Amino acid sequence: MSRINKNVILALLTLTSSAFLLFQLYYYKHYLSAKNGAGLSKSKGSRIGFDGTQWRTVKKFIMLTSSQNVPVFLIDPLILELINKNFEQVKNASHGSASECKFFCVPRDFTAFALQYHLWKNEEGWFRIAENMGFQCLKIESKDPRLDGIDSLSGTEIPLHYICTLASHAVHLVVFHERSGNYLWHGHLRLKGHIDRKFVPFRKLQFGRYPGAFDRPELQQITIDGLEVLIPKDPMHFLEEIPHSRFIECRYKEARAFFQQYLDDNTVEAMAFRKSAKELLQLAAKTLKKLGVRFWLSSGTCLGWYRQCGIIPYSKDVDLGIFIQDYKSDIISAFQDAGLPLKHKFGKVEDSLELSFQGKDDVKLDIFFFYEETDHMWNGGTQAKTGKKFKYLFPKFTLCWTEFVDMKVRVPCETIEYIEANYGKTWKVPVRTWDWKRSPHNVQPNGVWPISEWDEVIQLY
Amino acid sequence: MDDWKPSPLIKPFGARKKRSWYLTWKYKLTNQRALRRFCQTGAVLFLLVTVIVNIKLILDTRRAISEANEDPEPEKDYDEALGRLESPRRRGSGPRRVLDVEVYSSRSKVYVAVDGTTVLEDEAREQGRGIHVIVLNQATGHVMAKRVFDTYSPHEDEAMVLFLNMVAPGRVLICTVKDEGSFHLKDTAKALLRSLGSQAGPALGWRDTWAFVGRKGGPVLGEKHSKSPALSSWGDPVLLKTDVPLSSAEEAECHWADTELNRRRHRFCSKVEGYGSVCSCKDPTPIEFSPDPLPDNKVFNVPVAVIAGNRPNYLYRMLRSLLSAQGVSPQMITVFIDGYYEEPMDVVALFGLRGIQHTPISIKNARVSQHYKASLTATFNLFPEAKFAVVLEEDLDIAVDFFSFLSQSIHLLEEDDSLYCISAWNDQGYEHTAEDPALLYRVETMPGLGWVLRKSLYKEELEPKWPTPEKLWDWDMWMRMPEQRRGRECIIPDISRSYHFGIVGLNMNGYFHEAYFKKHKFNTVPGVQLRNVDSLKKEAYEVEVHRLLSEAEVLDHSKNPCEDSFLPDTEGHTYVAFIRMEKDDDFTTWTQLAKCLHIWDLDVRGNHRGLWRLFRKRNHFLVVGVPASPYSMKKPPSITPIFLEPPPKEEGAPGAAEQT
Repeated sequence: MSRINKNVILALLTLTSSAFLLFQLYYYKHYLSAKNGAGLSKSKGSRIGFDGTQWRTVKKFIMLTSSQNVPVFLIDPLILELINKNFEQVKNASHGSASECKFFCVPRDFTAFALQYHLWKNEEGWFRIAENMGFQCLKIESKDPRLDGIDSLSGTEIPLHYICTLASHAVHLVVFHERSGNYLWHGHLRLKGHIDRKFVPFRKLQFGRYPGAFDRPELQQITIDGLEVLIPKDPMHFLEEIPHSRFIECRYKEARAFFQQYLDDNTVEAMAFRKSAKELLQLAAKTLKKLGVRFWLSSGTCLGWYRQCGIIPYSKDVDLGIFIQDYKSDIISAFQDAGLPLKHKFGKVEDSLELSFQGKDDVKLDIFFFYEETDHMWNGGTQAKTGKKFKYLFPKFTLCWTEFVDMKVRVPCETIEYIEANYGKTWKVPVRTWDWKRSPHNVQPNGVWPISEWDEVIQLY
Repeated sequence: MDDWKPSPLIKPFGARKKRSWYLTWKYKLTNQRALRRFCQTGAVLFLLVTVIVNIKLILDTRRAISEANEDPEPEKDYDEALGRLESPRRRGSGPRRVLDVEVYSSRSKVYVAVDGTTVLEDEAREQGRGIHVIVLNQATGHVMAKRVFDTYSPHEDEAMVLFLNMVAPGRVLICTVKDEGSFHLKDTAKALLRSLGSQAGPALGWRDTWAFVGRKGGPVLGEKHSKSPALSSWGDPVLLKTDVPLSSAEEAECHWADTELNRRRHRFCSKVEGYGSVCSCKDPTPIEFSPDPLPDNKVFNVPVAVIAGNRPNYLYRMLRSLLSAQGVSPQMITVFIDGYYEEPMDVVALFGLRGIQHTPISIKNARVSQHYKASLTATFNLFPEAKFAVVLEEDLDIAVDFFSFLSQSIHLLEEDDSLYCISAWNDQGYEHTAEDPALLYRVETMPGLGWVLRKSLYKEELEPKWPTPEKLWDWDMWMRMPEQRRGRECIIPDISRSYHFGIVGLNMNGYFHEAYFKKHKFNTVPGVQLRNVDSLKKEAYEVEVHRLLSEAEVLDHSKNPCEDSFLPDTEGHTYVAFIRMEKDDDFTTWTQLAKCLHIWDLDVRGNHRGLWRLFRKRNHFLVVGVPASPYSMKKPPSITPIFLEPPPKEEGAPGAAEQT
């Protein structure tokens, strides 16, 4: 009898544990794939069929947006990545022939969409209808940064993010606003006090940790997993933009305070200089963009942006920085084609490269190439008549977008460190006489070019 | 799930149930010892595997959790704003059902306090004369409207009657007189005060003081009055203290169907008063208009900036007409309010539009000018893709075909560099001088009052040198200066597409309005097809003018041009007259002619190279300044240009008197 009992117990145990094991295996796989992101095997695709919560939530959301004419497009990095990988297939697939759910059923916490705010007509009714459909929605608003640049305007708040959950899946709707400089901007997702912090796992959101800026994407309609969605025409380009999209706003308030103290220069000459400097910067930005070369505002131009949100009228040139690894040999010819002849070239690609182009109305465009060391960055300077070399040291920095004279341009994210390295703690005080060899705080003598190299490293035109 | 344990209690249960099949199975097995052993080992192995998988899962979950905890930074990021949370403002209403109201009336000061809070206080000299009216919400005690009617002056009592009639029944009305409020208080107004239950109001006399609290359509809650003893002195100051019982919120509100629109309406109507039928319970006037869309609308994506001050009733009227115009796109409209005024913002919210407030800087004209600059800059910031912006003011009616007019003409602004603006307003387009809704002109002056601004003009020329606050300039005068205009012209219609109804304003008063604006012609015909729009381009327009002058009949220059008989009683003819104009800036005769034609004569408007075009008695009437105008060559040699003598200088007052 005892043996029978033992057998019974054993058999029952085996049964329950095998059932349990199956469940665990299923869950574990789920968990693993969520962690690794993409890895989606065929067998699983068929297992998690069209009735997955993610797919159903997205489907309902798309139904909602198309019926309410909410102009949205898909920006979810995970799904765009998948689409990008299978781009040909997606494009060729005829509508409705989807046999398995390959994209929207991928396990994830959120699906991110962008809302083109300027195309949106019926903002009001939408929210209620979403809630009637079963969505639980959270709206995050803030003041409009486009009014910040203007003295003393205060408007109604603009929506920055919507998060709508339905059946344990959440759609993150990032509101994209048009900004001057032909780009789209989205805001920082900042939780105000009354918002339920447990509404969704906020820190897993792909967008909103910082404000972001994107090129205005061209869109295309595709059908995936039986759902019609708009996606950026070039998903690859959009995906590449995401990690570098962080945007910082100019410090308009401080700039106003600056002008209270030092008054703006509104003479005819100052206005003329600002105008030609702006045009030169626009031309340079266009040319470098065509080449695909990253650049940022450096030296005086960067200081002008940071201190007064404008061009310093007595600075006499436009300064840009470029990482030496982004250097392309056709930069000079591209600028010449754009009507900006080379004025001088100092240094060489391996060391202290600096290019200078002659713009219209005697405004000069200086391009400094930055070299990266383990704990700092530097760029070089050369004195033409003596062949002396100089080195300007900067703490390491990353690049952010900002808006400057109606343009989307990059600046060092760690702007204050960058500027203080260059101009010292007294950068707030305007200095009209500037000696590039002595005035900067971070200048160091760096020897002399050997005379044999002068022909190469000191070229004046 | 990790702490799942097989419960020993369950086993015998299951075993008993399945006894029959289990027995047969058992017997088979006992006969096959080897097989049984195998099964047992298999089961044990299986259990082991389960345990291992379980342990791994637990470890993994732990790691995931600890990873998540290691990264608390973003959490902090999101929490940043926590400290700045505003606590919602609470008004001390609570369960109190009675308001304690104080009203003071005297020669030099009035004030009204509700529950100890002063809601009106006016002791400024030389202003605020007349009857001050305050409307309170009967359920909350909030101030819904605050007006002053200077009933010492004519017509103000009519405005008061209009206003009081619009106030919804049940509201609490408070009236108090400052200085003098009876001189032009006519019978209709007195009858209305009587119907409100006032004893003293209908008998209000010269320089009496009077304070009144009552419910509209309900009982009087308090009244005090002091007669003036003599013509030269004022009544004694009166202070009325009274309790106003509050009614329940349901009583104070209408029960409209629950729609998005009515929610807006409800928010508006429980806050402000004096907008008439929009808050009517039974039959509220619509706040959404859905005018016909415009086929091929070229201005659908052009932002519209409405420049407003604190004239909410004007703004209300303006926005109604704007939103009723064909082809309007409400999401392109932004209302810029000069100052932190609540009521204009409420009006904007009622119509579901975007409103932006502007902290006042500078004074008077310079303030308006800075407000304009900020508004225009903001408009182009908010709509960075826009190439144009429509600029409107809060005291304009907008014609039903306003956008149709712009849609048909806006390409000119794009194609013709010699243009400065397109304006909906013809300075010389009065009832008796405008005729043809399909006709456009080119003029050297900038009329404003509903116009289109090119972004490049603003960004490249105007914005950088916009007059700074310390220069107390009118923005429109500045824009008309030759340094800015630089010889460019504006396109205007013969019949204006906007109507200037504002009577109260910075540069505006009743007399001025009646003389110069009231009789302005305003197009009410929808869908007018403009004629020959491309002939408005620089060169084409010269051809057109030459054609007109060639076919025009020369008038009899011996007659007095001010006489009606100067033009024959015909219809559809084109006539030309030549006046003396020695230099480009000699407008002596023109100004006199304008004065006697009862059109705009305060400065020169509507000219194009010394030519004015208008209508008289349904005939097109051209006036050419000789010899300054290049069209002087069309003058037959026999004709002597008309010369009108300017009146002697000291008659300084503008031609207002002649018009009234």
